[in-house]
Amino acid sequence: MSGYLLRRSIGALIVMWAVATLVFFMLRIVPGDPFAAMMADAGDMEAVEALRRKFGLDQPMYIQYLKWFSNALQGDFGTSIYGARVPVQQLLLEAIPRTLSIAGLSFIIALIIAVPAGLIAATKRNTGWDHGVTLFAFLGLSMPDFWLAILLIVFLAVNISWLPAIGYEPLSAGFWPWLSHLILPAIAVGTGFAAIIARMIRSAMLEVLKTDYMRVARAKGLKQSTLMIYHALPNALIPVVTVIGIAFALLMSGAVVVENVFSIKGLGRLLIQGILNRDYPVVQGAILVVSAIFVFSNLLVDMLYGVIDPRIRYDS
Amino acid sequence: MTQEAVLDRAGAAPRRSSGWARFASLILADKKALVGLVILSLFVVAAVLGPVLSPYDPNAMDFDMIVGPSWTHPLGTDDLGRDLLSRLIVGTQISLFVGVSTVAIALVLGVGLGVLAGYLGGWVDHVIMRYIDLQWAFPNFIIAVYLVAVLGTGLVNVIVAISLAFVDDFARIARSMVLSIKEEQYIAAARTVGVSDFRIMWRHILPNATAPIIVQATVSVSYAILGEASLSFLGLGVEAATPTWGLILSESRSFISRAWWLGIFPGLAIMLTVLSINFLGDALRDFLDVREGRGI
Amino acid sequence: MKKSTNLTERQRTQIEDDLKNAYDFDPRDPLFGLSRAEMSGPRLKRRAVLRLMAASGTLTAAQLLPGLGGLGSARADGHAGGTLNCGWSGVGEIQTLDPAQINQVLQFQISSNVLSGLMHINADLVAEGDLAESWTVSDDGTEYTMKLREGVTFHNGDTCDADDVLFTYERSKDPNQSIHGRVLNNVAGLEKVDAYTVRFKLKKAQASFLTKALERSSGRAMTIVSRGALASMSPSDYGLMPVGTGPFRVTFHQLGQGVVLEKFDNYYDPERPKLDKVIIKPISAAEPLGAAMEAGDIQLIGGNPIAPELIDRFVANPDLVVDEKPGPGFQSLWMNPWHEHMKVTDFNKPLDELMKEKGFKVRLAIAKALDRDRYLKQAQFGRGTAAYGTINPAMGYYYDEALAETSGQSFDLEEARRLMAEAGYPDGEGFPTLKLITTPSNRRESQVVASILKRNLNIDIELLTKEFSVGIEDFDTMNWDMRRAGSGGDYDPDDGLVDWMQTTSKFNGRKRNESTHPFGYFSEAEVDALTNEQSATADIEKRRELVQKANRITSDKVACAFLYHPSDILVHHKSVNFPAISRIPGLVDLDRVTLS
Repeated sequence: MSGYLLRRSIGALIVMWAVATLVFFMLRIVPGDPFAAMMADAGDMEAVEALRRKFGLDQPMYIQYLKWFSNALQGDFGTSIYGARVPVQQLLLEAIPRTLSIAGLSFIIALIIAVPAGLIAATKRNTGWDHGVTLFAFLGLSMPDFWLAILLIVFLAVNISWLPAIGYEPLSAGFWPWLSHLILPAIAVGTGFAAIIARMIRSAMLEVLKTDYMRVARAKGLKQSTLMIYHALPNALIPVVTVIGIAFALLMSGAVVVENVFSIKGLGRLLIQGILNRDYPVVQGAILVVSAIFVFSNLLVDMLYGVIDPRIRYDS
Repeated sequence: MTQEAVLDRAGAAPRRSSGWARFASLILADKKALVGLVILSLFVVAAVLGPVLSPYDPNAMDFDMIVGPSWTHPLGTDDLGRDLLSRLIVGTQISLFVGVSTVAIALVLGVGLGVLAGYLGGWVDHVIMRYIDLQWAFPNFIIAVYLVAVLGTGLVNVIVAISLAFVDDFARIARSMVLSIKEEQYIAAARTVGVSDFRIMWRHILPNATAPIIVQATVSVSYAILGEASLSFLGLGVEAATPTWGLILSESRSFISRAWWLGIFPGLAIMLTVLSINFLGDALRDFLDVREGRGI
Repeated sequence: MKKSTNLTERQRTQIEDDLKNAYDFDPRDPLFGLSRAEMSGPRLKRRAVLRLMAASGTLTAAQLLPGLGGLGSARADGHAGGTLNCGWSGVGEIQTLDPAQINQVLQFQISSNVLSGLMHINADLVAEGDLAESWTVSDDGTEYTMKLREGVTFHNGDTCDADDVLFTYERSKDPNQSIHGRVLNNVAGLEKVDAYTVRFKLKKAQASFLTKALERSSGRAMTIVSRGALASMSPSDYGLMPVGTGPFRVTFHQLGQGVVLEKFDNYYDPERPKLDKVIIKPISAAEPLGAAMEAGDIQLIGGNPIAPELIDRFVANPDLVVDEKPGPGFQSLWMNPWHEHMKVTDFNKPLDELMKEKGFKVRLAIAKALDRDRYLKQAQFGRGTAAYGTINPAMGYYYDEALAETSGQSFDLEEARRLMAEAGYPDGEGFPTLKLITTPSNRRESQVVASILKRNLNIDIELLTKEFSVGIEDFDTMNWDMRRAGSGGDYDPDDGLVDWMQTTSKFNGRKRNESTHPFGYFSEAEVDALTNEQSATADIEKRRELVQKANRITSDKVACAFLYHPSDILVHHKSVNFPAISRIPGLVDLDRVTLS
């Protein structure tokens, strides 16, 4: 197990390095000059050159790369090119809890909707309940999440005074302020995910119910509800765990768009704004964090899978 | 009869003969799939007959701005006084084109890479798979965002970006299918009688790998349509005057509380299309017995 | 409240008395650059007041203003205290509040509440003393001696004196620390006379010196920063939470999250500010902004201009106040004179000779076919003024209302079509598709421009939406066909003429290949000369004449197709009392705002 873990971790680090390097060079072939934009108003070319020097952009690309890489190894991602030139670490540290809050709450909301929905659909197969769940799942998958986000704002936030339309409050400002700002974005992001999980649980449950083990349990005369919740559901959840990795991809993609609607500066928004503004250090830092989250959440899921399903062993 | 023809019959196409008929009967039996097929056909008809059907020039502006549905403008007008129905009809053409062409490109590239990697193995496999793994570490949408940022906005660039973002999905499926088929007896037989690698891949391996690829392609069309919409929403989509559903929807966002029709109709168009593709994809998946693919 | 009202009355009578006595005073030129109000020509009273002020140098506007209520300001109702929630429109974050780095209006709207300058414009765009209590100008207009207000403290408790002015000056001149060095290019030196007196020496007289270089918000080069704070804070911390001498201090600032301002108890005017706290949240999308306003989450909108489509919605809402004023700025459709089909390689030729050139005919045809009324109605929901030059209605005195009729660019469809036909493109035949570079925020209205030209001249225009950082690169290198661009904070004629219309203007193809492109988008010797001359002209009547003449030439010779002057629109809840005296176009000064 530990040998496997080590190998996978090293693999993950290599992926992160490759992504960071690719991004570093691709960013620099993208047209657009962040400093020209910044100076458009002041028109001071001397200041533009001074800034270029300050950010090392006057040097050959490989030197820039080596510098960035050695700094990054020491945990220094540089500063944003714009405005107050806030250190990228600070921006990331501010953004990560926002995105994780949205992703976490979306995940919870998705489970709250999906688990009972999937269970009901599987147990009441081919009834109105089942069709209802299926339709909901398809709708959830088919709706652009930004559309859902705007509809939520227009139809809920404006009419419900305690539900804020936009923004984010950190947990330090209190639980309710934090939660109330997250409800709408989390619903917007979580709906699509709920649809996927509900479908997975439904089909997994159907598979499980067909097994000999369940037939035996049923033959023993166990109550239907006990049967479902204590025997079938845990087994049905195994494949669900595997989608958590994919889930994060989905939640992140959702968050990128939805953070934009709700004016929440999370990782997604940081990334998009950085790309649009050609803010190299910010994009590099954000991509590194995003890929780290992906690569390691995939790794974690694999580990988790081994824990849940004892048939899987990682020792070679 | 040559040896090859025998092999063809033995290995490559056992399902073909009655496949379509069985699929048709399946669709007729599955209400969801039938609904999906009908809706999708309507959109395809709208796309093909677009210019004939649309009552106005989709880009002509007049002073009837933000007027609700009426006899003159069945779906109302937008914030620049353009007829929404005409724009949606032309949009059908473009959006479906984005969906289909994107997947076509991704499919050709991805399957090509996957088959190469799986069949040739060795360092080719290694290089291709390292790249695919790299791309796999990211959600497709994030990759598309980044590619548009590099390539610039516009219809062609959006298509290129989304299709490149989908390549890894197809490559993975194709490779794993090839790996499992490669060891089958009829392939070994073909090799021993000296059939070329290319021919083996083209005639024998690909046809057997089609089922999961078809399912993935179907689902990907819907993700491509959603992806275009999301890119347009972020300002990374097609150019302003191009009436794609995504752009019409994203432009409606500042009017949605005052002009519901601007947000509802393009949203419905996207949703219904994606929904019917998903319905069909689901039926296909059951029919071809393929497990869930990867999404956005 | 009552007490200050009395004071106001008394002061006003006093000023009016002073006025009567001052009528014979020869107001030659101490009025330098006190642009619009002083010159709001016919209204002799105000003009005389200001002349008196400037001439005596002791009566500063800041002293007078509480009493100048009669000149168009309204007293605020409502009580001191309370928290004001604001939304900053069309923006995801306030990137910086450090005046040395500020490059957006929406940033200095906030910094203007936190930091002081030597001067500050008022609602009529007239510069008044802020930290400068009084000033005198030498006869040749090249020396400004400024007496600083005493007893002013920074938010951190440090005293503000001449050394801080010098420190700010040095910092702004250093390209490593500031992007605004160019603003001070005309300053030969700054000396400290005593602890509370400084003297600027200019290279040449500059009419806009007070409004442009010393203005606290838009000038930024001489917005006074704190030496002490800069020594102890990192530059990025100072950029987020600058320490100044303004009415509010920044107590919280996180990018994307917002800014919190709290009342500064030791502000030099004990009457201000009224509010205890101001919370500013950036809101980029229009629908959430509208929703937040209607739900009461925010009570005032600042930041980028509010999307035009939201404004009618706000007007219809009885709980909201929508206050519209002419905005300082101009917006244009630029045409590349090096493009084969719009080519003009020498704008110095007399007009009748230019009229013989094919490229010029096309340019003029496009400018004449641009139906500005239609554009305003469709793209801006009827808000704004048709533009025929850079000089905008907010500048009042300098604005040339007649230009709409007299300019060669006046809308004339027949003539435009005839010109196109003469140039060899009857009904647009044979004319290539042009690419119009626009920014994401101008996407919507650029479609209207394209549609008007299609409709009127049958020209096809393809939009290319590029982020500002990308589009400006093309613009600078002259790698474009057409571009939608303009300017937003023009408080002085220099902003339009010096920054845009001269051969050496900062936007005029500054990264072009000079061997293939001897100039950028426009170059005209007379405009260059007139612009230089007006910059150094003290006499306002004379300056106005020069400004309007230069403006007319840029219009007739089609430096660009001028489109419109945006309106400046402030939206707030009824419960917010935003006094007219604070209603400075483009700014959101909150020091006199109260809640009821």
